[in-house]
Amino acid sequence: MEYLIHIAILAVIYGILGIGLNLVVGFTGLLSVTHAAFFGIGAYATGILLTNHIADFWGSLGLGMLIAAVLALIIGLVLSRFRDDYYALASFGFNTIVFALFLNLQDITRGPLGIPGIPRPEILGYSFGENFSFLILALIFLAAVYFFSKWLTESSFGRVLKAVREDERAAQVFGYNTFYFKLAIFSTAAALAAIAGSLFASYITFIDPSTFTLHESMFILAVIIFGGLASLRGSIVGAVALILLPEILRFVGFPAEIAAQMRQVVYGLVLVLLMLYRPRGFFGEYKF
Amino acid sequence: MDILPQVLVNGLIAGSLYALVALGFNLAYGATKFFNLAHGALSVVGGYTALAVLRDLGWGLGWAIVIGILMSAGIGWLLDKFIYLPLRKRKASNMVLLVASLGAFTAIQAIIAILFTSQFQTLLAGESKIIDLFGYAVVTGVQLSAFVTVAVVGLGLYLILKFTRFGKAVRAVSDDGEVARIVGIQTDKIVGTVFLIASGLAGLAGILIGFDTGLEPTMGMSLLLKGVIASIVGGIGNVYCGIAGAFLLGIIENLGVWQFSGEWKDAIAFGLLIIFLLFRPKGIFKN
Repeated sequence: MEYLIHIAILAVIYGILGIGLNLVVGFTGLLSVTHAAFFGIGAYATGILLTNHIADFWGSLGLGMLIAAVLALIIGLVLSRFRDDYYALASFGFNTIVFALFLNLQDITRGPLGIPGIPRPEILGYSFGENFSFLILALIFLAAVYFFSKWLTESSFGRVLKAVREDERAAQVFGYNTFYFKLAIFSTAAALAAIAGSLFASYITFIDPSTFTLHESMFILAVIIFGGLASLRGSIVGAVALILLPEILRFVGFPAEIAAQMRQVVYGLVLVLLMLYRPRGFFGEYKF
Repeated sequence: MDILPQVLVNGLIAGSLYALVALGFNLAYGATKFFNLAHGALSVVGGYTALAVLRDLGWGLGWAIVIGILMSAGIGWLLDKFIYLPLRKRKASNMVLLVASLGAFTAIQAIIAILFTSQFQTLLAGESKIIDLFGYAVVTGVQLSAFVTVAVVGLGLYLILKFTRFGKAVRAVSDDGEVARIVGIQTDKIVGTVFLIASGLAGLAGILIGFDTGLEPTMGMSLLLKGVIASIVGGIGNVYCGIAGAFLLGIIENLGVWQFSGEWKDAIAFGLLIIFLLFRPKGIFKN
């Protein structure tokens, strides 16, 4: 039971990450592979502020979102110069640079040692120390992120995003400054990723840079491509499926070391097969 | 002894390994116009195949290198045949091809890690000979042979592209695949052969790295990205500008490592990429 709750919490966290990334990749058509950087910023904000008793969980959550959003504005400014595959490539670069910062700013992040002993969130003296209560908390966040994103994508703002995806030039002709729209959604997605990061840090209670590599960004990309681009529901399904699939392999009897690699094999093959046979994923409305 | 010459020599050695990756990557990019991320995984395949032949089968060095190159060439060809070619036939966008190659990359790297563990392993038995360069800098024998290999391979490729029928066909396909098809060039076959050669070069790079610094299943991504950065810095799609870009990248990286620390190496490389993408997207030689 405890194990199932653990899997469920991970699926919820990746669901939040997926929804955020889908706003950028699925709805706006920008192939960003740097989401793990913002995930990491949320996690480090919570880790650093909580272990140094500077702020409580909620304060660190807010600050993490703010830092991620501001950083995304700066990164987005540079990325706005690129399109399609060059955009993807440049976004690789930013993930690598942010990862190098986590690893090398040792005075702040403790570098490869990581930050242990991050406490669980508390509200009015009630601690979410039990995994089950933490799952409820995570689900509340997922629901909030889901409905926020649903509202956003169904608003007039969301319609402009889809117009950018389908034909950016046309959207510009109609008088929309697509530059600001792309920046805004990239920043929003980064803030949502920071929420997932804060949850992750206080759930696992230990973070180190190795969680926030380019590979993690690719995994999140696989989650949303699997579930379907421009489908919020699909992102949650994708997260559940891609978290669950390797766990099943573990039950079949692979040892832990190999099971971790099998996860990579599985999502690599999933990406290839999806591109070959169903590039829009399971619930997707849009394909590249 | 002043350290600068040594830093520059290290840069040239690193640059020659990046150049091998960039050569193959650029060749394939020229013919297909998409970023084949699986290219990095093929270096890993080459390096580990050589390791298996050398250590587990106990065959000689020559066999290890030849079989390593053939293995990565073969897998590269299969990737094109069963993944990229069907996608190109369907006129899939570059993004679809990019994501598919990303998937192939991830799967291949993990399979290698399962077969050979994630441990760091080296192809070199014992110490490599140290060669003194006139008292200014030192290189190992392996590093010097890597440098020479790149020069030979680069020249060989140049001659093939310039003077053979196959070379002409490759250039025609790189210019315009549709037109090449119309005038009767078997585009798919040519692209397949290009993948074969490009992947073989990637494998060779992996083997040289196995002798120089050692193998890790995860080395593919950083190697690939260095190759891509070198290609873009030099001018993408142009095989020879890629070599120049590789040497520039190798030298700047090593200057950076000297001034800051080794941990920043990848960040420096990507900083260079982003600067070039912003200010000189067509590479150092073109405006």
